[in-house]
Amino acid sequence: MLLDAKAPATLGAVVEAVARLSTLSEAKILELVSAGKLQDVFPFQPAGDPLLPADSKADEELVEASALPLRAAQRATIVSASLPNAAAAKRRAARTKAPSRKIKSLLKK
Amino acid sequence: MRRFARSAPSKTNKRRYVDIRVTDMNAADALWWDTRLGPTHARDASRADRLWVWSVLLPMCHLVQRAKRRHCRPLVVWARADTGRFVRAGMCLIIEEYPYLDVRHPADSDFLWFLSAADSAVLRADYAMSHPPALGRVLLDMAIVLSQNAGRGGRMGLHAARAGGDSLLAFYAHCGLNSLPRRAALPPSVQRPNDGRFFYADEAVAEALAAALDPSR
Repeated sequence: MLLDAKAPATLGAVVEAVARLSTLSEAKILELVSAGKLQDVFPFQPAGDPLLPADSKADEELVEASALPLRAAQRATIVSASLPNAAAAKRRAARTKAPSRKIKSLLKK
Repeated sequence: MRRFARSAPSKTNKRRYVDIRVTDMNAADALWWDTRLGPTHARDASRADRLWVWSVLLPMCHLVQRAKRRHCRPLVVWARADTGRFVRAGMCLIIEEYPYLDVRHPADSDFLWFLSAADSAVLRADYAMSHPPALGRVLLDMAIVLSQNAGRGGRMGLHAARAGGDSLLAFYAHCGLNSLPRRAALPPSVQRPNDGRFFYADEAVAEALAAALDPSR
């Protein structure tokens, strides 16, 4: 999983928090989250693009989730899409004009 | 192989069905939920999920489960509004290959860790959804379907958040899940005393619940 170096939480703090949280049961974590203490135990602040996605989508815009077991590559995509910066970067990339043929040929060199 | 449900009964008129779609959850979905619905949910003291921040919850769950060598499957349920377009109406986070809660039959199962349905009044007022869907059964079904398709027999479990009080216990019992008796032992890796708020579906219960939703797939 990639973490943004510019994010408010340092990688070390996140790793430490994950190590601590992974010793707890899922029910205990659910309890902490429900008590509003998630930010205390997991020092992660989404620092990505604050652009909100659209409120609604047309049927054909939705990519329905597979109910079958996922392959490793599909799992990796889902994990990276859970990070705000990854999602923002993807949106930014989609907004960015594709490189011209000239730039592409330069990149190949 | 079963698909996820594609329609759910309206909350106000059980004979009327609303189109729904299930997508994989990403950070943008979590951000939208926190921004658009979070403030309303936070004001409702009866909601177990009133203080959940999905934008933080989502990466945290992946990381914690990876540390335990398991995978999370975060999913979003969208429902059709009066405009014909789809709006996010439910969120859930399922852990795959979780120890089955009935220790008499050691096996893997799926664990429905977090599930949340959007406030119906907000969907009606702000998103032109005259018929918000009843998603409780659909969200349970998603864990059952994943478990069945992965060869885990539909076995699934969950822990009813204490913040949900007795009404949440009654809801899961009403849905047809088995309540794990308070005296029952939990799998060792669950690392927690049994507080009487665990529910599960065995193969037979899972099949009955899934079959009941087959016309909606």
